[in-house]
Amino acid sequence: MLSFLERLIPVHRREQLEHAWFLARQDLMLASRNVFRQRRRTSVSLIAIIGGVAAMLLASGFFEWNYDTMREGAIRARIGHVQITREGFAEGGTADPLRYLMAETSEDRKLIEAFPQVDTLAPRLSFTGLISIGDSTTSFAGEGVDPEREKKASGALTILSGQDLSGIDANEITVGQGLADNLKLQVGQTVVLLANTGSGGINAIEVKVAGIFATITKAYDDFALRIPLKTSQRLLRVTGVHTWLVLLERTGQTDSFLDKLRPLLKTPGLSIVPWYETAAADFYNKTVSLFSKQVLVVKLMIAFIIVLSISNTMMTNVRERYGEIGTLMALGDTRAKVLRRFLAEGAVLGFAGGVIGSIVGVGAARFISWVGIPMPPPPGMANSFVAGIMVTPGLVFEAIFLSVTTAVLAGLYPAWKASRLNIVDALRHAR
Amino acid sequence: MSIVVLEHVSKEYRLGDHMVRALDDVTLSFESGVFLAIAGPSGSGKSTLLNVIGCIDMPSSGRVVIAGHDISGQTPDQLASLRARTIGFVFQTFNLFPVLTAEENVEYPLLQMEELDKVDRRERVKEMLELVQLGKFAKHRPSQLSGGQRQRVAIARALVTRPELVLADEPTANLDHKTGEGILALMRDINRRYKTTFIFSTHDKKVIDAADRLVGIEDGTVRILGVRKEGQWAITNVARRAAATTDTEAAAPKR
Repeated sequence: MLSFLERLIPVHRREQLEHAWFLARQDLMLASRNVFRQRRRTSVSLIAIIGGVAAMLLASGFFEWNYDTMREGAIRARIGHVQITREGFAEGGTADPLRYLMAETSEDRKLIEAFPQVDTLAPRLSFTGLISIGDSTTSFAGEGVDPEREKKASGALTILSGQDLSGIDANEITVGQGLADNLKLQVGQTVVLLANTGSGGINAIEVKVAGIFATITKAYDDFALRIPLKTSQRLLRVTGVHTWLVLLERTGQTDSFLDKLRPLLKTPGLSIVPWYETAAADFYNKTVSLFSKQVLVVKLMIAFIIVLSISNTMMTNVRERYGEIGTLMALGDTRAKVLRRFLAEGAVLGFAGGVIGSIVGVGAARFISWVGIPMPPPPGMANSFVAGIMVTPGLVFEAIFLSVTTAVLAGLYPAWKASRLNIVDALRHAR
Repeated sequence: MSIVVLEHVSKEYRLGDHMVRALDDVTLSFESGVFLAIAGPSGSGKSTLLNVIGCIDMPSSGRVVIAGHDISGQTPDQLASLRARTIGFVFQTFNLFPVLTAEENVEYPLLQMEELDKVDRRERVKEMLELVQLGKFAKHRPSQLSGGQRQRVAIARALVTRPELVLADEPTANLDHKTGEGILALMRDINRRYKTTFIFSTHDKKVIDAADRLVGIEDGTVRILGVRKEGQWAITNVARRAAATTDTEAAAPKR
């Protein structure tokens, strides 16, 4: 191993690297000692950084919670992680759904279900039609589903009254909250569904309203109803399905799963769409990009406040150590080295503040999540909810990076000033 | 060979509204190995002279050659490198780094010498601390040491790079009489044993008595040159603007 390294890096380069590493360690060691020597001043700066970092984590963690809830809600209510359809279904499916039917089961389906990360595969049949009760008629977007499998695939779908679908062949439906309100539907009533059949005719069936549901997307609930797969196939007089909805154990597995799956599928003309490319995820994607910009502004403001509150103490730090700086330079330290010394102190301060701030932030996030943040219904969604704060490792890393950067930035001018001192003048300040 | 050569060196700086002439056409040269005192009342220019020799201050005019290096036109980094390898500093206020232990303070100037590895550095530090009789205090921070001990650490720090020249600005002024004498004796001993050149500024008669060369300065000009031989000072009064040297022949008594 060592001989391999020795061959890889030429000797003089290695010595340079070793020396650079040695100097960096020296800088950090000296910086830490100097930073923690000035207990009072350091704690004043630390408190500012800790407060900033914790605030930053809470703000971005709050948004992260919202993204996560929204994403997981949409995925587990109806999008799934991966949708497998006939090619072109996403574009032409609404106008002519019956052209894009695919087999309900096949070799490919068994292949997918054999993946360890696949939680469940739910077949779905999508169609539109008219729903009538008494004199009222309105259009709906229906989904034929396998109730057994949907228990997992639609976990984020809430039954507000009544029950969920009882079996794959049951003569019943569940209705979205908005649609039910529109028709003033009650659980237990019988309605008529009317739809185009696969052979070009029109068919109608009578079904019972088993329950009323809500998802986090109001636009969906206003038109949606769900019906057992076999019942929907009977209504449309078809045998196939439109979509295999694949639900994975975790959302993060989506891309690696796709990479493994794509080369394996045998059926030609299949389209494999991850959740974030579906039309239904559009709202999520746009919300995230909009809010991320806003969070960025918040982060920049916090960074600015940190710079403002610690740059003064950093200047004091330099001013009180003129004598020491003069000594450093008299002993032969270059200006660059003096600059580096003081920048390193900023980095140490920022790192310490970032780590402590993250601990404080995570603790506060846990507590606030435990209490809960009551939220009004967001635009396009049906119900009010209780939000939490979700701090991911990524956010912590980002917060620490930001606090180190800001502290170094705040120390930039004082450090530059230190490195430009006139040695004789600086030495005059020595006690 | 002269380790320090100053030719027509002047130094002016602005103090409030008027210019102060701290050095006025000073021409001097010192040979290697001397134990030299620069004496004069405060404000005489002795500190400025020491700073110019130490390459931490640049003359307004004139030529300065330290250990063969002409310092005019050198960049700050080149001067820093010259100081790091050629000159050791001892300060009136000791100026140890408070966050470092005695041995770390002594090691500090060695850190930028790439040619020394950890073992070399440790050996040199140990040797220097033994030399100043502080081997037992290696792990002490400056705040745990007495003034005399701190100045000993500072001397060890100044010597550890094996400089050709050690400059000491009033090294005993912040020490009590007895400790000061001990410091002087130590420097004198090192001067004799290792032929290290020592130049120090002072206004203390007793410190002058320890020296073997003397430069008396007043109002920015050299007034007195002295050479001591067999315990007797041979003093030369230097006429204004005359070339001055402490080289033995030139400074021979002219009475």
